[in-house]
Amino acid sequence: MSACAPRLAALRRVLGAVCRRLARCLAGSCRALPARSAQPHTPESASLRALTAAALALPGLAQMPAHAAEGDEAGFQYGHYKEGGRQLYNDGSRYDPIQVDNLFGNARVTLFDRWKFAFNYMQDTWSGATPVATAPLALGGNPPQLSGASPLILGNGTLLYDRQFNPYRFDFSTGEYRKDRRLVHTLASASPETRQQGIFSLGYEWDEAALDMGGGLSEEPDYHSAFFNVDGRWDLNQKRTTLNLGLSYTHSDIEAGLDPDASAYFDASAFRRQIDTVESTSGPPIQTLRGVRQDWATRFSLAQVLTKNSLLETGLSYTRSTGFQENPYKVVDFVFVDPAQTPIDIGVPGLPLLLMPQVQAVLEQRPDVRNQWSWDARYVHYVEGLNAALHLGYRFYHDDWGIDAHTFEVEWGQPLGRGWMITPRVRYYTQDAADFYRPYLLFRSAEPRMGTSDQIDLRRVPVKNYSSDHRLSAYGAVSGGVTISKAVGKAVHLEAGFEYYTHAGGLKLDGGGEASYADFDYYQFNAGLRVDLSAPLLSGDSGHDAHAGHGGYSGSLAPAGVMFDHMMHKAGAFMIGYRYMYSLQDGDMLRGTDPVGDAIIVANGCAQQACSLTPREMSMHMHMLDLMYAPADWLTLMLMPQFVSMEMGLRPLAGAPPDESDGHIHGGRLGHATGGVGDTGLYALARLFETPGHHLHLSLGLTAPTGDVGQKIHSGTEFIHYGMQLGSGTWDFRPSLTYTGYLNRWSWGGQLSGIKRLENRNESGFAFGDQFQSTAWGSYHVLDWLSASVRGVYTVQGAIRGEYNGLHSESGPMDFPASYGGHYWDVGFGISAVVPGGAFQGNRFGVEWLQPVEDDVNGYQLERTGSLSATWGLAF
Amino acid sequence: MKTGERALVLLLLAACTGLPGCTTVAPWERGNLAKPHMALEPHPEQGAFREHIYRGREAASGGSTASGGGCGCY
Repeated sequence: MSACAPRLAALRRVLGAVCRRLARCLAGSCRALPARSAQPHTPESASLRALTAAALALPGLAQMPAHAAEGDEAGFQYGHYKEGGRQLYNDGSRYDPIQVDNLFGNARVTLFDRWKFAFNYMQDTWSGATPVATAPLALGGNPPQLSGASPLILGNGTLLYDRQFNPYRFDFSTGEYRKDRRLVHTLASASPETRQQGIFSLGYEWDEAALDMGGGLSEEPDYHSAFFNVDGRWDLNQKRTTLNLGLSYTHSDIEAGLDPDASAYFDASAFRRQIDTVESTSGPPIQTLRGVRQDWATRFSLAQVLTKNSLLETGLSYTRSTGFQENPYKVVDFVFVDPAQTPIDIGVPGLPLLLMPQVQAVLEQRPDVRNQWSWDARYVHYVEGLNAALHLGYRFYHDDWGIDAHTFEVEWGQPLGRGWMITPRVRYYTQDAADFYRPYLLFRSAEPRMGTSDQIDLRRVPVKNYSSDHRLSAYGAVSGGVTISKAVGKAVHLEAGFEYYTHAGGLKLDGGGEASYADFDYYQFNAGLRVDLSAPLLSGDSGHDAHAGHGGYSGSLAPAGVMFDHMMHKAGAFMIGYRYMYSLQDGDMLRGTDPVGDAIIVANGCAQQACSLTPREMSMHMHMLDLMYAPADWLTLMLMPQFVSMEMGLRPLAGAPPDESDGHIHGGRLGHATGGVGDTGLYALARLFETPGHHLHLSLGLTAPTGDVGQKIHSGTEFIHYGMQLGSGTWDFRPSLTYTGYLNRWSWGGQLSGIKRLENRNESGFAFGDQFQSTAWGSYHVLDWLSASVRGVYTVQGAIRGEYNGLHSESGPMDFPASYGGHYWDVGFGISAVVPGGAFQGNRFGVEWLQPVEDDVNGYQLERTGSLSATWGLAF
Repeated sequence: MKTGERALVLLLLAACTGLPGCTTVAPWERGNLAKPHMALEPHPEQGAFREHIYRGREAASGGSTASGGGCGCY
């Protein structure tokens, strides 16, 4: 104590002096600088605007890209996450490791002078296998040969223990028991699922303060969140100091469908009041676990310009989470070894007498309250001479579940000239285990049971909370990656990044981490672009062809659902666009043009066998980026990456035999979801003919099979229905011929287009049918900048050729190649606009609803309900 | 010293290291600070994606007012 006293006194003096200076500083009594110029367009104020973003960005929101940069902008990013295989020792897994496709789009615009509006959209689609439990390897949780992972959470019945409670594993290859204390995860497939999230925010900026309010929704089949946040910023001391205060609230409703194939093998009695059970005619009862969770979070932070080359930001956060915080898909294995039982003599010399355990799997239980605190600091230093930026970050985290965590980050931003920048980074993370984390629970007693039943009596188990989720275990993680970015002109910023991450018990600070069975790694890569909406636009009519600007009616555009409708007409021009399409089928089941009853589908819809299921509804969301560049006046090149997500709901057919296929239940409902990267289009558009009032161009292109055609249903063994694959799997030739014309307020056009599959089979054994489409439209300029359109569409598509070359479901018509394609007639109603002036000058928007008039389908198919197209584009 | 006290001292030290901020940094001297790679978060979209993944894989996810839902149950 006495040795510490002088040091403490010195520390107090230093802290006192430091804090007095800081207080003076905050009060503005430091040597003040002249206030910055308010001129909006001087170079000085431009740099100050950037400085404001750089040095004084609101930290909580700095993580939210919608607020990331000063100035109006729009951005789009794709990210892919993939885990490596788990350590399963000799037991293989037939499941692919988990992978996630992430889409992110955002826009931030100035509505009025000081009002800022931001919107961002995020979508995740994940699939693959994830641990559902942890158990001794001797339990045999992952044998690859057996069908259906669910029963394996209880093992294969060969696990034994000695009197010292060491597990003994039966080796099937030698037929012998041996002591084996290793643990292993039990993996189960997570069926593909998509989460969509949208966030809006509205902010007002004063000269030295800002207030921002926002809210949003996150939707996935089993988890619905709504949230709002309020954030305030206060600049002090000629903006050298900034204080931020934020508050957010999130309300989440959980309705997790418990896997009906698995629910017979785990105990969910702790949640019995939260589980709804619905009897199913086509299989085991469907159970839905419901819960509510609330999160309140607040954060206070301070950002300070330290010198002309360095700045610091530090913050304190507190989050209180209450309610249902379990992961409803994780169970904990309870192993009861009754020492009082009569031991088994295996009869092998040298092997001790062994005890037979009782194994139960129980849904994990976590405390209902979690208080979380964290403190973080970030320091950024400019390295003169190298023109580089060094970023150092640290975060300490503590919660009342017993977890302390530390995060260290180092990043080096190095410009390379010509707009290129490379940013390598390294991160280290370490955490303690939660108090209630156990890989599995071993009880040295007999299993307490409810009366004479074989159901476990959880009230008599001496633990209240338990989880074997490895995210709550003790471990460390090291990751490293690099970001490469390139500024293209003044308007466009391209970025790509890669990161490799390794999680290991052995990497925990101070040691004592989880054993190596739980180690895993992942990599992620991402690529995106950001458009500065305030960058100078191409002069005049935004560089668009398609008679933009005729007769004073700027932007008489084709309806939003028409692709390849326009070209750029100035060499060197480029355009960035976004195209969204949503389509829905939820009408009657059709044969040809007529609705058909279940009995006929059962009898005829599935070739030689009886159908058991049929589609109830199918929806698809498609996001497309539209990147155009004109190397010459007569030629426009176009790149179109696509991202899709689909959902299909199924229903049992009346009078049908039970479905024998494994895995049509998705999230407790009959159906499936898929999503991810679709096929990528590459096109060249060439002008053939141009006179005042008439225009003709030809587009020739290919789509590359970047969309996966190996998507499986929930069981992980069978291909999903053909129409749920993410792409065609074949290289496709896509020509089109487009004519447009105009006179005064009227404009019109027509297009012939086709899709010719260049291969007979994709890697999964089939090819979608070729397609031909013709369309014609007329539109009228209601206002100078706004036109309304009507169009007709006729489409014919062939049936699928070939069939899956592997196991696939044959439960309904959607599983048979003959029930794809047909003849379709539609009428479209749309509006298009080109903003003629103001802050959004040159932005093009279009929306169109396509209403089916008639379907004449091949085989048995669900009637279409309609589709919506929306487009946005801006040329530079 | 308990963890909480240690954290408090660290926090005070960090909060108070702002003292050099009182040295004069005139607006025309802030050119370096205004460079894009000197931003606290130079790549916000990528940063958000990384944080999104960490949130799904690490326990210490709370403590930010950045809103957002989702289970991360995979």
